[in-house]
Amino acid sequence: MTEYALDELMVVEASRHIEDGNIVMVGTGLPMVASLFALKSHAPNMCYVVETGPVAPEVIPTPTSVSDPRVMYRAVRFGSLLDALGGVLQRGLADVAFLGGAQIDQFANVNSTVIGDYDRPKVRFPGSGGANDLASHAKKILIITRHEKRRFPERCDFITSPGYIDGPQGRKNAGLPQPYPDISVITDLTVMSIDKSKGRLRVDKLMPGVSLDQVRENTLFEPLVAPEVVTVDPPTRAELRILRDEVDPDGTYLKGRE
Amino acid sequence: MGKPIGGKIMTAKEAVESLVFDGATVGMGGQSIGRCSMALAHEIVRQGKKDLTLVGCNLALSTDIMVGAGLVKRTECGTGNLERFGTAFRWREAAEQGRLEVDDYSHLAMASRFLAGSLGLPFMPTKSMLGSDLLNKKSFDGVKPFEMLDNPWNPGEPVVLLPACTPDVSIVHVQKADEMGNVIIEGFTTHEPEMIKASKSVIVSCEEIVSSDEVRRNPDRTTVPYIFVDAVVEQPWGAYPTSTYRYYEHDADHLSRYQAVARSGGEAYEEYLQESIYGCETFADHLEKVTSTERLDELRRSMHRLL
Repeated sequence: MTEYALDELMVVEASRHIEDGNIVMVGTGLPMVASLFALKSHAPNMCYVVETGPVAPEVIPTPTSVSDPRVMYRAVRFGSLLDALGGVLQRGLADVAFLGGAQIDQFANVNSTVIGDYDRPKVRFPGSGGANDLASHAKKILIITRHEKRRFPERCDFITSPGYIDGPQGRKNAGLPQPYPDISVITDLTVMSIDKSKGRLRVDKLMPGVSLDQVRENTLFEPLVAPEVVTVDPPTRAELRILRDEVDPDGTYLKGRE
Repeated sequence: MGKPIGGKIMTAKEAVESLVFDGATVGMGGQSIGRCSMALAHEIVRQGKKDLTLVGCNLALSTDIMVGAGLVKRTECGTGNLERFGTAFRWREAAEQGRLEVDDYSHLAMASRFLAGSLGLPFMPTKSMLGSDLLNKKSFDGVKPFEMLDNPWNPGEPVVLLPACTPDVSIVHVQKADEMGNVIIEGFTTHEPEMIKASKSVIVSCEEIVSSDEVRRNPDRTTVPYIFVDAVVEQPWGAYPTSTYRYYEHDADHLSRYQAVARSGGEAYEEYLQESIYGCETFADHLEKVTSTERLDELRRSMHRLL
């Protein structure tokens, strides 16, 4: 059996949610790794858009910032933040966007602002950045995170980026633009996706060797469960080679692998 | 009437003395670890301009230093982070201890507020922020933070209206400018074109002064024309330790060193400010103190390999 690290499993699974030709809004970190992997494997015509402005760069491994020259390499245009988040994203052209956050709740709302009271927070996080915009306008939202219990509360302390807010009508009541997005949360234990009819996260897949009980034990809310829960395919030898040799050769993001 | 032609080249000291004042709203250029307006931020710290409101998108290193020096009353922004290098720690601690008013927006919301300002409009609509707690805002200084509008052409559809953001002065570090004040930004431009045009006054520091003849021969390269700009400061390495596209990469070592003292705060941080800002007369002094010609050459070569 091929050995792989959990982060490698997560990014390869996340990349499978990207289709060839998609316009993908990308930042840095594991989302960047997943997007770059998609670009170099099954989605060569993916269009990478960076929030600072660059469109369709060829991306030199491995960028560490949205202002990194590696995400500007051979771009077809250097635009502005308004071009990227306004002219592409709010305009409705972004197929996929990635989010990250300190808390993700049962409605797939994400908190990256504060724990505790807003005016006198227990912990202050960096804030929305472009995340709220991505969650408001992209057609598909992907969240890659380690599965820790405290990250999955019933309700976020603060909704920075809206999921389905409080249920199936949440986005409609808030006046968010249609179509309402698919949302998938990819963790080291499971892949949970939004059940649009209920507006709540549902366990669709389990990572290899993980049980449903493990997911429940590590989640503060009670997730829905798909009628047929499938196991995620582990990364193949060929996928791992691309990931390790072409996407993150220096182990900037994917550390601790064999 | 726009700004005059010429007479704009000055030192950082002169520019900050004449254009930045206590209580000003300051537009912050740069994004994350790219093109932060470090030389101008240092000068503001040295001159102790206080009670500032800082506005921008990703308020990163330049903001953290101004907050760390105790000069900032409020920030209005999308985020405060240095990506892989972590949060803006001085900003974060000030927010957690209630010493700083923080007004959160999304990045598109801030860019839209600058766009309104740049077009001379009182507000701009957006479809971001709906359904999020970013709309659970209180008002600062009695200014209504947003308004909801029922789309007149599609009744029942809510739209968020955001007030224009018009900084008293913006500080931006760019690649090139000329003596007229024409600005050339290379690479990403983030929120800067709209912010510059929305500002009542603008200080630009640049890697290189180019001739106005060169600008006139290639006008398609001008990001912002001189009529918006008040002061041009020639300051090579003016974004160090953040990067400037086509000129140099960010200095990961120095960023890590800064983040370590910013995280611990207290005396270690005071020492950093003393040593590397208050104890320097100019930004060139700062560079001499904290880095070396060899290291800077390395950062320049490293950028050139990526072009």
